[in-house]
Amino acid sequence: MASEGAAGNHRGDDSSSGATEVSVLKKISSEINATLDRDELFDTVLRTLDELFGFDHCLILLLDETGESLEVVASRGYPDSALSTKVSLGSGLAGVVAKRRRMVRLGGLSQQRAYVSTIRREMEKTGRSNELGSAPSLPGLADVESQIGIPLMVKDALIGVLLIESAVKRAFSERDETLVSIVANQAASAIKSASLVRELTEAHGRLALLNETLEDRVRERTHELQRTNRELRDTQAQLLQTAKLVSLGDLVAGVAHEINTPLGAIRANADLARRAAVRISAALASAEQASSSQRDSGIPQALGALDEATKTTLVATQRISGIVASLRNFARLDESERKEADLHDGIESTLTLLHHKLDGRIDVLRRYGSLPKIVCYPNRLNQVFMNVLLNAIHAIDDRGTITISTRTEGDHVVIDFADSGRGIPAENLEKIFDPGFTTKGSGVGTGLGLAISYRIVQEHRGFMTAASEPGKGALLTVRVPTTR
Amino acid sequence: MMYERLPDEIKTVLENGVPAELVSCSMDGVPNTTVLSQVYYVDPESVALSFQFFNKTVRNIRENPHACVLLNDVEGYAAWILKLRYDHSETEGPVFEDMDVQIEAIASATGMTGVFKLKAADIYRVESVKKVDFEPAPEG
Repeated sequence: MASEGAAGNHRGDDSSSGATEVSVLKKISSEINATLDRDELFDTVLRTLDELFGFDHCLILLLDETGESLEVVASRGYPDSALSTKVSLGSGLAGVVAKRRRMVRLGGLSQQRAYVSTIRREMEKTGRSNELGSAPSLPGLADVESQIGIPLMVKDALIGVLLIESAVKRAFSERDETLVSIVANQAASAIKSASLVRELTEAHGRLALLNETLEDRVRERTHELQRTNRELRDTQAQLLQTAKLVSLGDLVAGVAHEINTPLGAIRANADLARRAAVRISAALASAEQASSSQRDSGIPQALGALDEATKTTLVATQRISGIVASLRNFARLDESERKEADLHDGIESTLTLLHHKLDGRIDVLRRYGSLPKIVCYPNRLNQVFMNVLLNAIHAIDDRGTITISTRTEGDHVVIDFADSGRGIPAENLEKIFDPGFTTKGSGVGTGLGLAISYRIVQEHRGFMTAASEPGKGALLTVRVPTTR
Repeated sequence: MMYERLPDEIKTVLENGVPAELVSCSMDGVPNTTVLSQVYYVDPESVALSFQFFNKTVRNIRENPHACVLLNDVEGYAAWILKLRYDHSETEGPVFEDMDVQIEAIASATGMTGVFKLKAADIYRVESVKKVDFEPAPEG
């Protein structure tokens, strides 16, 4: 007698077997629909197929994201190595079921294999070996006799394959096929739902994580942008100042050259005139002794005036020479590289250039200590002195004093610029080195002078501080290390 | 035991790859025997035989539509002899599709894709069915 298949174990006569199957299917349906966890669902499907129908070798394969192959996602009765195995569409029973979207039940597979082997041998004998392929490696029983492959479909779309195998001949009947197809339909819908739930849960998790990190990322990015913006503004300001300095340098060089040439001529002439006057004066003195008639000619007075004029001219030209030297020293056009310099020279040159702004209303008190020469960029430090002194001058409304003190403290040179001006309100004191901060009003100050000064001093590995009490003036201190 | 139509019990035999031999005969009385991959149960009065390789059988059936199929059901301790008459061939439709997908599944698992394939489902009318029971061999 032929076996009636595994499901036959649950059947008696027709009416009672029908009732039993309905009850089994209800139980399966209820268990399958009781969970939305995918792994739990796979386990439920495979366990119930085994426990209720005796199908102890089952695989669930799902279509992967490429849509070109199936992947074993759950198994019962096989070693764990079967999991994650890939099966191409069209390869083996599962692959053909997926490709054709048709249920297939196969029996007597050892007979079929023997038949195929006979054909292979015949083909090899007749020289047709090149038409033959090799058997693919597929998950499943090596000595399989019976198979059912059922496509798992949801609304005409394939999601996977349920594969049931047995090493027993005639293991599955037509009735088994029908029962399993009902289970497979239920399972397909449940797997789809569980997959959607899992995708939603994962998406929700990703979204929550994104939300958690979003604020931090925005804050971090904002800081980054602010820092970049600040650096950009600093760089722009520095470029502007550098450009100004270069222009000033050009101007100073031109002025110095233009003044120096006629100045040389004036000085030479004045000197010549003074010596000529001395000689004339000496000659006249000799002649006076010879002729007293010339005593009232007025020539001695004229010569005296000439002498005075030439002396004054010499003093003036010396003064102009001093200004030219200061201009050259300030710009240090020939010293753009780092070199050893006396900071007192730089301060003095700057004061010379600001002489007209001091205008007799501001006294400058010098309390210079002994400073070593330091290696620095002299022209850049001169720019610092210029900015600090200009600020002090602007802070003094009427008459006042600027006191410049220098000293050495440890390995630092310290220069204090104290003014008797309006002072700086406490709320502004910490902002005065920020780029763009100014109290001079629109069009008067750029707000960059002290920021650039601060940067220049920083580049010398020094630092600047400010102290003030409103109404009592301000103190700006520059500290620069003596060694670099 | 003789039947005029296919009895239900033969379904299990047909569905489980029992080796089947097809015997045809030319007009001048020369017989030919070949092995079949599938004998498919269509309904109680007809079966479909898989047409894959046999040129001589095709020639014979064109000349003489009578054929005989022998099924040796070792598991069931019986042999079945089906007397058939060729009716027509199908290359599409549910019978062809069912047979084709089964053959494709076997071919793909054995590296015979493109070689072991169904050319047509040949439909034969059943003229008579004979079941010959064997005595099981004594154990030991």
